[in-house]
Amino acid sequence: MSETTVRKPYKRQMSRTTWFMTHARFKSYMLHEVSSIFVALYMALLIAGLFALANGPDAWAGWLAFVKSVPVLILSLIAFGFFVIHTTSWFKAVPQAMRIQQGEHFVPGKLIIGGHYVALGAFSLFVLILAGVA
Amino acid sequence: MSERTIQLEVLRYRPEQDKEPVFQTYTVPCDPDWVVLDALNYVKDEIDRTLSFRWSCHMFVCGSCGYKIDGEPKLGCKAFLRDYGDKIRVEPLDNFPIERDLVVVIDDFVEKLQSVKPYIIPKEEKPVSAGEYMQTPAQLKAFKQYSMCINCLLCYSACPQYGLTDQEFIGPAALALAHRYNMDSRDVGRKAREHVVAAHEGVWECSFVGACSVVCPKDVDPAGAIQQAKFTSAVDYITSLVGIGGK
Repeated sequence: MSETTVRKPYKRQMSRTTWFMTHARFKSYMLHEVSSIFVALYMALLIAGLFALANGPDAWAGWLAFVKSVPVLILSLIAFGFFVIHTTSWFKAVPQAMRIQQGEHFVPGKLIIGGHYVALGAFSLFVLILAGVA
Repeated sequence: MSERTIQLEVLRYRPEQDKEPVFQTYTVPCDPDWVVLDALNYVKDEIDRTLSFRWSCHMFVCGSCGYKIDGEPKLGCKAFLRDYGDKIRVEPLDNFPIERDLVVVIDDFVEKLQSVKPYIIPKEEKPVSAGEYMQTPAQLKAFKQYSMCINCLLCYSACPQYGLTDQEFIGPAALALAHRYNMDSRDVGRKAREHVVAAHEGVWECSFVGACSVVCPKDVDPAGAIQQAKFTSAVDYITSLVGIGGK
């Protein structure tokens, strides 16, 4: 063939702001990422509680009243929902990052995930016992 | 021969005549056991010989026929028509420039692949007469999964990070292959690959969307390889900070 073709590769642009709307998988990923904001916010609330505790009984009582107020309770419930998303999505990913080889076999992913839930349960129970709730 | 007719919507790009890609629909009579690649070959043979697409082995070994099929990166030879509706959309892989129709420019990937030194770097070269580099089945198991990559680039097409960084990110397959050699008991090249693997554009650009592992037709799990390499990189960094890191 004597004819030559001029190359002119076509470059498609990816939207930097809406790319995650293009696939259900990306939406799920973004939900997982957004959940960390709620985890951080709730952590800030708990740290504020520690400072209130250090600042004496009045500050502590004020913080307790604050966390029991309806808006904070609603926000806490929403945060809890995101906590569940955060925990389950991370635990699901653990076996990929943490491969445990025993001889010629790998410890099954379900065991590793299960172990994390057991540890979470045990630690939660420990905290509840410390708090005098359980 | 045909029991079914499908509408194959193919994204066409003919650089000599198209300013941008456009869809062209072909009506294809097909056998029940056909894959998308068979339908494309039917178009090429019977309807429109100007249609361009890569393929070779037709048995998901060569990794040539990666396309985006109904929005998902797939191998054309592994996408059975029976799993799709009567209208199937076939596009070139995302995140790569389109050369022509379903053919994409993969030069960037080839450069990245070379940059991770995807070969065994032994502690000392032995003459062939000295025999094999021995390895136990357990040592083989440690990396075998990552050696199954066929460079089909479905993972790069699925990876938003590769697209968002405008191909700066080294990407799933190359990093998984680097991990494959780093995990090989016969290899001592981890430090030689470190400047690519442990760089910002290396494993640390990965935000663990995990799409690469979902679309991989060979179950390589590049996302897992990258997270493991992040752990190694972090340990290297910390040990170098406290002055106990190796050279």
